[in-house]
Amino acid sequence: MNAALDASSPSARPSAALVSAIARACHKIAPLWPLKHFVAVNPFLGFSGESFAATCETLRRVAQVNALMPRAFYVKALVDGWIEDRDLEAALLTSPTGRAASENAQALRLAAHEPEIARTANRVVATVADVLDALAAGDRQLSRTAFMIDEISKWCAAYFDEGQAAWRLPTRTLRPYAAWRATARFDRTPETLGIRRFRQTICALPENPVTTIGEVVSALKIPDSALEDYLHRALFDIQGWAAYARYRVWDNALYGRSDDTLVELLAIRIAWGYALFCERTDPPFKKAWDVAMAKAAFLPQDHGRGEDPELRTDLLLHEAYEAAYQRRLLAQLSIASASPNPRIIPIRKPLQAAFCIDVRSEVYRRALEIACPAAETIGFAGFFGFPIEYTPIGRLSGGAQCPVLLKPAFVVCEEVAGASEKEETEILALRLMRRRAVKAWKAFKLSAVSSFTYVETLGLLFAAKILGDSWGLTRTVQDPNIDGLSHRVIGRVGPRLAPRIVGGRMTGFQSEQRIAMAEAVLRAMSMTQNFARLVLLAGHGSTTANNPHASALDCGACGGHTGEANARVAAQILNDPPARIGLKARGIVIPEDTWFLSALHDTTTDGIRLYDLEILPDSHQKDLVRLKAWLAKASSLSRLERSARLRLDSPRNVDRQVISRSRDWSQVRPEWGLAGNAAFIAAPRERTRRVDLKGRAFLHTYDWHKDTEFTVLELIMTAPMVVASWINLQYYGSTVNNRAFGSGNKTLHNVVGQLGVLEGNAGDLKVGLPWQAVHDGYRLMHQPLRLNVLIEAPEAEINRVIAKHLSVRELVDNAWVHLFVLVDEGRTIRRYLGGLRWGSAQ
Amino acid sequence: MLEARLWVIGLGPLALAVIGLVPTAIANRRARSLARWAFAMSLVALGVAVTAAWVRCVLGPMRSGTLGLPEVGFGFYLDSLTAILFVLVAFVGAAVIRYSIHYLDGDPAHGQFTKWLCLTLASVLLLIISGHLFQFALAWIATSVGLNRLLLFYPERPAAVLAARKKFVASRIGDLCLFAATVLLYRRVGSLDYATIFANIQALKLESAPPGGVHAIAALLVVAALLKSAQFPLHGWLTEVMETPTPVSALLHAGIINAGGFLVLRFADVIVLSTPALDTLALVGGVTALFGSVVMLTQTSVKVSLAYSTIAQMGFMMLECGLGAFSAALLHIVAHSLYKAHAFLSSGSVIDLARASWSPSPSGPPHPARMAFVIAVVLAIAVAVGATFGASVTEKPGVFALGTIVLMGLAHLLANAIDKRPSVYIVGRTLGVMVLVATAYFVVQLGTERLLAGSLPPVESLRSPLDLAIVIAVVLSFGLVTVLQNLVPRYAHERRWQALYVHIANGFYANAFANRLALKFWPGPPPRPASRRYGMTGASEESS
Repeated sequence: MNAALDASSPSARPSAALVSAIARACHKIAPLWPLKHFVAVNPFLGFSGESFAATCETLRRVAQVNALMPRAFYVKALVDGWIEDRDLEAALLTSPTGRAASENAQALRLAAHEPEIARTANRVVATVADVLDALAAGDRQLSRTAFMIDEISKWCAAYFDEGQAAWRLPTRTLRPYAAWRATARFDRTPETLGIRRFRQTICALPENPVTTIGEVVSALKIPDSALEDYLHRALFDIQGWAAYARYRVWDNALYGRSDDTLVELLAIRIAWGYALFCERTDPPFKKAWDVAMAKAAFLPQDHGRGEDPELRTDLLLHEAYEAAYQRRLLAQLSIASASPNPRIIPIRKPLQAAFCIDVRSEVYRRALEIACPAAETIGFAGFFGFPIEYTPIGRLSGGAQCPVLLKPAFVVCEEVAGASEKEETEILALRLMRRRAVKAWKAFKLSAVSSFTYVETLGLLFAAKILGDSWGLTRTVQDPNIDGLSHRVIGRVGPRLAPRIVGGRMTGFQSEQRIAMAEAVLRAMSMTQNFARLVLLAGHGSTTANNPHASALDCGACGGHTGEANARVAAQILNDPPARIGLKARGIVIPEDTWFLSALHDTTTDGIRLYDLEILPDSHQKDLVRLKAWLAKASSLSRLERSARLRLDSPRNVDRQVISRSRDWSQVRPEWGLAGNAAFIAAPRERTRRVDLKGRAFLHTYDWHKDTEFTVLELIMTAPMVVASWINLQYYGSTVNNRAFGSGNKTLHNVVGQLGVLEGNAGDLKVGLPWQAVHDGYRLMHQPLRLNVLIEAPEAEINRVIAKHLSVRELVDNAWVHLFVLVDEGRTIRRYLGGLRWGSAQ
Repeated sequence: MLEARLWVIGLGPLALAVIGLVPTAIANRRARSLARWAFAMSLVALGVAVTAAWVRCVLGPMRSGTLGLPEVGFGFYLDSLTAILFVLVAFVGAAVIRYSIHYLDGDPAHGQFTKWLCLTLASVLLLIISGHLFQFALAWIATSVGLNRLLLFYPERPAAVLAARKKFVASRIGDLCLFAATVLLYRRVGSLDYATIFANIQALKLESAPPGGVHAIAALLVVAALLKSAQFPLHGWLTEVMETPTPVSALLHAGIINAGGFLVLRFADVIVLSTPALDTLALVGGVTALFGSVVMLTQTSVKVSLAYSTIAQMGFMMLECGLGAFSAALLHIVAHSLYKAHAFLSSGSVIDLARASWSPSPSGPPHPARMAFVIAVVLAIAVAVGATFGASVTEKPGVFALGTIVLMGLAHLLANAIDKRPSVYIVGRTLGVMVLVATAYFVVQLGTERLLAGSLPPVESLRSPLDLAIVIAVVLSFGLVTVLQNLVPRYAHERRWQALYVHIANGFYANAFANRLALKFWPGPPPRPASRRYGMTGASEESS
């Protein structure tokens, strides 16, 4: 045992204070979903309990990370006239830190233009690597931090690898800390780079991760008051892998399992720091370390909150920047509400079309309303209320197609329509066989020795593949959804609703479940009467080639999958005659000639694909023809509108150019995803129908008059609103500080472990969105704004939901979203002030 | 054949060089149209290359003659080797340039990127078609300089700087070797014109023992080639150059890294005169091939994994040269380039592959005993077939060794198909594939050998007992690795195997050691801060 440890660790039992500091530090890390089903995550999730302003401060102080735009950005917005004096006044008025007497718009303007004062003594507690870096006088070539991150990242990649390496980490069956120690005792890399006795130091540490952390912090003499900051700071160094570990924890917690992966990872990071500490025994280092710890010990109790005048200015400017958007948005909405509504003609609508609340649907819905002005469009979470696990043919389990806050309630298997049991068995067997043959082929291609044979015999064929892929004639690899299926079969696969036991699990829906689900989804959509002859339920997904972040463009409400399966399940259940009889008993009468049609909105090409047309009744064939014409027109309009943001090569052939992006293997911006999102509106469509929201608003159809118990309001505020805020804050983070909260430059991305990306050949796992997802090379395509939530419902009821749910309260009271209420059919808009108080917004 | 009209092929590199001469400021301002122009020019280069290849087929090899002095001159040389590589690199270059049009779109330095891409490509083409060693050396250095600029496209990235420094050191040592070889050649032959050099070498061949100077020349050429193609233990930089956009990796791994192999092939006539030089190639190449392909198995990121694969494949190509199978080496260059260019450009698709590659059934890994048995049988067949058709160990040791390796690869394929629950469908299908692959291999190999009959020396017979030892060592070690990689998963819990994994995953620390040396002897000023990339342009979308 090491001398330093012996002297300072009388007891091996971790103290309660240590355990809780570890838990709090770990809690600050937001999860990161793997790329196979990437979903937007609020990077500030761990800080929900703190206010937005306090989080900005903590991040600057502890991790030296800016969570606001650089000052120059706001100054430019001032100069450009985007921020006006009234916005500055509004920011001062609502400032959480109060307003000094001397402060006014003019003073703020002046403060913004003044050169920034260098920030001093921001960091509360330094890590060993920090001190070493400081001693290296800023030469990042010699940076121990960078080296340590590379090494931990390399090890994490081997441990968490989901199939990239053919020869996998032999100790991966152990828990992370034990597995790491088992490999670290052989690894000579640190010593080769001059970190003496690395293996020895690691071997001498205790086996238990928490004990290790405890012994190291006492050996390093970290003051108790700085302990949590120290641990948080240490985790922040490896925040990407920490985030992935947090995802593991999250996923297990959803199923009620406990998981300490993140704590183990923290122990690895802390042990690394300790090895760096033990290596340096020279006086300059010892002295620098003592000074750093002495500084940390003398921290004021409140950690010096509110002492940074520059941050206060930045925060005020940011508030003003947001106020400028709110002013424009509210003006737009009240003009639309003020003008008299055209009398709704009391004939039956020819079409109702429900789309996901996703901001990309807003563009399409407006286009469809132009193509068919009599149509009604509806916004609803794209999983249509069906939290399913969709199991493709040949697999035993599938992806969870529901928001990540939920766990799937039903298992739905893929089946081949109209196939006999014999045919089904054959298709299944063939797919399995093909997969096994592919596996053997892959082993041939990627093994030592045989890879030489592979290249010599088949390498020449890649000439043709390069040509095909360059011109978008072929796809780099086959679409995973149809891989291993025959062409005859591909068009026939779909979800099976009939209940059946597969692999010991109940799949499909019982009749009672169908009725209950049908009722729930219709009520949640505020859709209980006036059904049209044709009701379109459109999920959405994207089509891109060679894009590691492809699933980030798919439906977030479907857990990073494309949404057609959920839409098909919903439509089939709503068309189910017994289910309709059950619905009638519960007070929802669907006319016999109403047909629900499922579809997929391809957000990259703006094409709509209709499903299950073979079971469409003959009576509706004419409706289908009309529908197809409207959709074609709407798709074209929608592409035209979006093309303005795509920087196409020429203004001609817009349709062709937009569609070709979906097949271009070199395209780093196939579509803009949810960039630009800024508002979430839960209200009847009439409030927004004649407003061009530019694809920046999540639109949730909601009519509170029909919501007798206000359960739908509660649902909207606890689920879609939270998810929208996650998406919004992901884009916010990736925009304001892509280095910390985004995944950097897409042209450098290097997929690691088949689960995430590195930027370049090493470094930490990257979180968030690539820079190319928010910036087109000339300007930002996303304005960094917190989400503006507008709900049309009684204030008292909204207050009730806020009071009831901590997650909602944290969002609105800590100003992670701005909440507004539409009163009097949208003619008046009021703002939530926090603490269940409301005030005028204008 | 002396043909003045051959000068026209200079248009290929020239067209691309024109793009490189656009001033950077203008290039960045008009990045989109420049990228399009670059693609057009790369098509011109490809057109020239294809025409040249056609002319070579119809009229036979030719040279342009030298413009300048014997020691400082320019000239072009067109034979099968030139034609094949000219078309290959022009093709890969065109694909890479086209890819970059959209891939780099919006990068503040997109124009600069296009410029250097074109200049580098032009240098490689100039290198390939040159008919004079002076021009060759010039293009050799120009390629290195251009590549250096591309590797440092993001100069603020510390890892990019470190890799570029290691590459710089390796390249300069390589340059020195090439320079020394050039001087020695000039002193022996009196001219650096290819035609003169090759004619003199032919004369030397007739002598019973080559003069001592030839060994030195061959050795220097071999060292220069090995350094250029990232051979063990100076391979590290190649695994670290993912710090630059993907198209650069594609061009580097498919176009530039071949320069080493090309040097060996171009001067194969010189190198075959020296058995020690050939043995060095075989030894270093063989070790690198095994090293790279085993380390590749442990790598977790797609691009680093591809880089180790390149190291291995280049090693294998050098091994082929060392064994005297020059036409096989050329085929390997071509096939590998196409494969690797596509692999890099499509490296973003790995998530799609992962989504499709769920494990269908507990089929398990192949049984090691069965694996060893299959390999033993394959070796026996190889010896038997070889003896029957004259490719015995002593007659054509190279062909024997390489053929055995191919068969080992196929054996591995078969062994993977026969898993715990063998199925007739899979084994049958795999056998069919094996026959196809084997046929394809021999057809392509024979075809290449025919095609290159005049340009490259024929396959050598056994020269010394050392050769025999090398051949046996190659066959045994490749066989051992084939078995080993199937054994490894079974012993995951054993300490020794765990240690072996750690050492291999770290590439036996060769690169870590190189990093330490580089940091010690070339500590640099910190790279300038990254304001350029994340700089804000256009504050707010709607305010304008």
